[in-house]
Amino acid sequence: MEDGEEHHNPKAHKKLLMAIGSFGNIQHIQKSTRDERQTLQDEFQLGKSVRSAESHHKPRAVVLNDLVQILRTSSKHIKTGRKLKNIQSTKKVLEKPLEKPAADRIRRTIGYEGVTKKLGRWDAVVAQQRSAETQIFPIPSETIYVNTAAHAKSLKTSIQSALAKELEASKLKLHELRKAQIGDTADEKALAQQERELRQKKITRDELFARRKELAYLKMRESQKSAKSRMQNKIKSKKFHKLQKRQKIHEQMKEFELLQKTNPEAALEKLNALEKIRVQERASLRHKNTGTWAKNLQMRAKYDRDVRKDLAEQLAVGRQLTEKKQESDSETEFKMTQDVHEEEDKEYDPFNPWTKRKEAGKAPTEKAGSHVSNWRKYWTERNQKAKFLEEHRKDLKDVQHVENVDVVEEKLKSDPKPKPSMKKVKKSKVSFENGWEVEKVYHESNVTGESKIIDNIFEGREEKLRAKLTKKLENLKLRTDRLKKAPAKSKKVKKDSLKNLKDLAIKMTKQRVEVDEPLYYEIESQQQVDAANMESDPEVAVDSAVDIIDLSKVTTLVWAQKERSSGALNDALVNDDDAEYDEKDATTLHQLTISQAFEDDDIIADFNREKTKDSEVKNTELQLAMPGWGSWAGAGISQEVMERRNKRNTRLLLRLAAPEKRRDDNKDNLFINETSTKHARQHMVSSVPFPFRSLADYEASIRAPIGRNFVPETAFRMLTRPSVITRKGQVIEPMDDSDLVKPERRLRHIVDKRIKRLPKVPQNSQKAKK
Amino acid sequence: MKVKMMSRNPDNYVRETKLQQHKLPRNYDPSLHPLEGPREYVRALNATKLDRVFAKPFVCNLSGHRDGVSCFGKHPKLLSALATGAYDGEVRIWDLANRLSVRSFVAHNGFVRGIAYAKNGERIFTVGDDKTIKVWNSLAPEVGEEEEPVNTVQSRYGLHGISHNRKDNSFATCGEVCAIWDEQHNDPLKTLKWGVDTLHTISYNPVETNVLACCASDRSIILYDQREAQPLRRVVLTMKSNKLAWNPMEAFNFTVANEDCNLYTFDTRKLQTPLKVHFDHVSAVTDVDYAPTGREFVSASYDKTIRIYHAHQSHSRDIYHTKRMQHVVCVAWSLDNRYIFSGSDEMNVRMWKSNASEKLGIIRPRERSNFNYQEALKEKYAAHPQIKRIARHRQVPRHVLNAQRKMRAVKEKDQVKEGNVRKHSKPGRVPYVSEKKKHVLKEEV
Repeated sequence: MEDGEEHHNPKAHKKLLMAIGSFGNIQHIQKSTRDERQTLQDEFQLGKSVRSAESHHKPRAVVLNDLVQILRTSSKHIKTGRKLKNIQSTKKVLEKPLEKPAADRIRRTIGYEGVTKKLGRWDAVVAQQRSAETQIFPIPSETIYVNTAAHAKSLKTSIQSALAKELEASKLKLHELRKAQIGDTADEKALAQQERELRQKKITRDELFARRKELAYLKMRESQKSAKSRMQNKIKSKKFHKLQKRQKIHEQMKEFELLQKTNPEAALEKLNALEKIRVQERASLRHKNTGTWAKNLQMRAKYDRDVRKDLAEQLAVGRQLTEKKQESDSETEFKMTQDVHEEEDKEYDPFNPWTKRKEAGKAPTEKAGSHVSNWRKYWTERNQKAKFLEEHRKDLKDVQHVENVDVVEEKLKSDPKPKPSMKKVKKSKVSFENGWEVEKVYHESNVTGESKIIDNIFEGREEKLRAKLTKKLENLKLRTDRLKKAPAKSKKVKKDSLKNLKDLAIKMTKQRVEVDEPLYYEIESQQQVDAANMESDPEVAVDSAVDIIDLSKVTTLVWAQKERSSGALNDALVNDDDAEYDEKDATTLHQLTISQAFEDDDIIADFNREKTKDSEVKNTELQLAMPGWGSWAGAGISQEVMERRNKRNTRLLLRLAAPEKRRDDNKDNLFINETSTKHARQHMVSSVPFPFRSLADYEASIRAPIGRNFVPETAFRMLTRPSVITRKGQVIEPMDDSDLVKPERRLRHIVDKRIKRLPKVPQNSQKAKK
Repeated sequence: MKVKMMSRNPDNYVRETKLQQHKLPRNYDPSLHPLEGPREYVRALNATKLDRVFAKPFVCNLSGHRDGVSCFGKHPKLLSALATGAYDGEVRIWDLANRLSVRSFVAHNGFVRGIAYAKNGERIFTVGDDKTIKVWNSLAPEVGEEEEPVNTVQSRYGLHGISHNRKDNSFATCGEVCAIWDEQHNDPLKTLKWGVDTLHTISYNPVETNVLACCASDRSIILYDQREAQPLRRVVLTMKSNKLAWNPMEAFNFTVANEDCNLYTFDTRKLQTPLKVHFDHVSAVTDVDYAPTGREFVSASYDKTIRIYHAHQSHSRDIYHTKRMQHVVCVAWSLDNRYIFSGSDEMNVRMWKSNASEKLGIIRPRERSNFNYQEALKEKYAAHPQIKRIARHRQVPRHVLNAQRKMRAVKEKDQVKEGNVRKHSKPGRVPYVSEKKKHVLKEEV
């Protein structure tokens, strides 16, 4: 044994065992080699995979814990071990992959969804094709125009070059001449350079796009701004406009100041403009409380503090606007006038607007003529009086301040004494202002009673309005509630994958009758006989067609049906309808006149009599007995006996059959002529055919004639255009991608994106702009 | 006595040259044409009758095959070329303009199962019962040369049909599996399999060219995408579908010819119910092909007739048959929308007009406008009973009529029975099922 152990080489032994163990697993069939790529492996070409020798007794899989255990042995690695353990406990293990059938199912659904989406692209094109009145095949495709001129080489013929040379020479000569004569100093070289640069400065396509986009963007901004301003103009709030104007003025002032420093000429121009505005304001009656608005307000001013304030403000505005703003500019003049107005100045109260206004009112009369020269002065003295401008600015500020103070003062004044003060203010106005104001006040005092009534009316109106508003609000609430509920319902509705196609379907402008019925079959063997029948049949049909047209027979029918306004379908065939409708009016008119003419005659009774005419005939008993028959015994037989005998004797009494029940029995003013339509009936449509919903639609489709004899040639061509046009000998290709509506291009450039993001300018504003 | 001369300007009625038409001054005032409605009606009636008189759809018979015709291949560019395969493995190429067989060769042992032209029409692919795909040059060999395939691919699976992609160089075959091939390779790029049943027909979507559909012998229709690793969806009908054709103008619609005498038009996006069930055949429908306009399709049937349907109507617009035509196996609509080809069991290929009464040859403008007028009139008065009667009157073989009668009787009986069952059961127990829903068993995901 020991010997054996000595000899025993564990490695070799293991190898041997392995070899024995894998004895059955030797791969006899070699894997096939192919030079062609292959996705699917053939089962016959696959060798079995070699199993490991240990596969019989499965070794326990190595788990992370084992590793941790090992790591724990050395103190060095305890930390890492712990970390590992932590990781194991915190990190999730991936789930087992799905079973193959389930995974396949998911893959299939995803693929199917992709394909349906792809196919959905065609909805619009298909819907359009279906609804097209005429389809042309092959589908006319997009034409691509290539600029062949871009690739054309310039001609290099001797003639041209000679010509060019000549031209150049002549040009040169011309230039020289010019130089000699006029002294044209234009530098040719520089010009040429410029031209070359311009020529070289070709814009790339992208640049062009970008530039165009930018331009469009600017335009859009502009239109937006204009739209905004228009909207603002529409705002009715007075206060808003007031503020707006004030702000504008403020801005202008600022601008003006800036201009003074930077560009005095422009500033001067502006100043003149301001002056002009002032003059205009003075000339107009604006801000003088003479408008309807002011008048209306004056009525209410007595009772309303705010209104009074508004009026005062309005006046202040007028004052401000008519204020001479460049007293400082023409100081000399001012000085001159100062003497004259010395006394007035004494009275002058800086906080009293009225006095100031008076002064200002006088001044312009003199200044109107001189103000043109003002700016010249300004121009000449501009350099000297640079500081002066600043002063002027200060002045302006002061003036503004003063005015503000004025307004405040007035407010203060009016505040403590609400009702009586109103009159006072008015009166004070009278003393300063024009006479008509006074009258106004008197008038107002007379009107107080009326105004009260008006107030009442206003209040009533307001209440009504309020009530209306609340009602509307409630309605709106209800509607929104309903809307909120609606989507919940629609969720339940099954998703229709063809919804898009259905939605896209356009109602055809010209509907066509669709006859979707089985064919009328007949056995082929009878063909000859049938053919013969057919031959004879058409004539009959034609005859009958002629029959219906016989107006004398049809008229009663038409009339009767018109009264009922149904069955008009049939006479669409029989008569031309347009004419008929006119006819109808005409007939009714005609009848009216007739009825007026024969008022005494009982037409209706006549009509009814006609209706019952044949039935009367039918309902009678005819006595066939001749006088003297059955009375051979001589005279003297009583009448009763005779009658009895006659009744019993059926031979002598002819009883006609009872009348058939008429369709129009219970309808007084209707007469259905049942005999006249027999032939026509087989040519008449009994029900509204398929795509049509209403009789009127169908009649309309049939009414208009399409023949050459009845409509002009162009209309004829249009009306008889076939629904499908194909060309002989041309292959009709299936629909192509180029027929699709292209999706929007993805934008890369920032500007493009920005433009895309811009809200669209509302349509109405665009229209207004136009 | 004063005589008033009538004077007219000759410019108004004298023509300038002999070739000009006479000017006819017309007054379109409707009050002068009180009978325009009836006149047009009579014209429509006459047009309809003439239409039936001239309805002679049969153009010619192409004879030459020595066994039943099994399949057609349409040339994608040439209108005058048609390839037909027969049960004896012979393929014939026809010159339709001259009604001649210009070329014939035995391609396979056993049936030729499918023929497809490559996208530009330079190659012909045929598959046969011998499990091979053969590629042929579409040009005839030189006089001395032998007819030999350009390439022969031995397939691992049986092959029942072939379809070529319209836009790229791939084609697909069906049989035991659906295989996508590339023209340059001898192995399929991809095989797609769902279930174990044989796929007997395959068809590429001509518009959305990655999509294709197969019909399997387990009564199902399977949709594939050639880019996907898996089939997309499967619908199982009550009976086997024999052929499938995609609408070339409506990418999502296809029609299958079914064994139960009907055709079904489906929308790919909604397979639970067909869009339309097309009735009227009295025996199994064997083949279907769309008109290139996508508005109509033609179907061939085992009942020895061809029928033309509007794609959105359930009854046929026309029926073609001849005394000698036996079971029609394959049918094709020419790419110029004018002709229909039918191949039948009795070795003949027939050519029909797609519009039975259409005039062949040159049509002068006046003639054209008159035809248009007649067409418009017929359309306008289509619902009128006399016109409808004449326009839809057809002579059919007795056996068709008998079969129809029988089918109607069966249907009526079924209806009566269903009604009775409904009457004697709890209300709501026997629901009313629409005709469309009856034929689809299930849609498998």
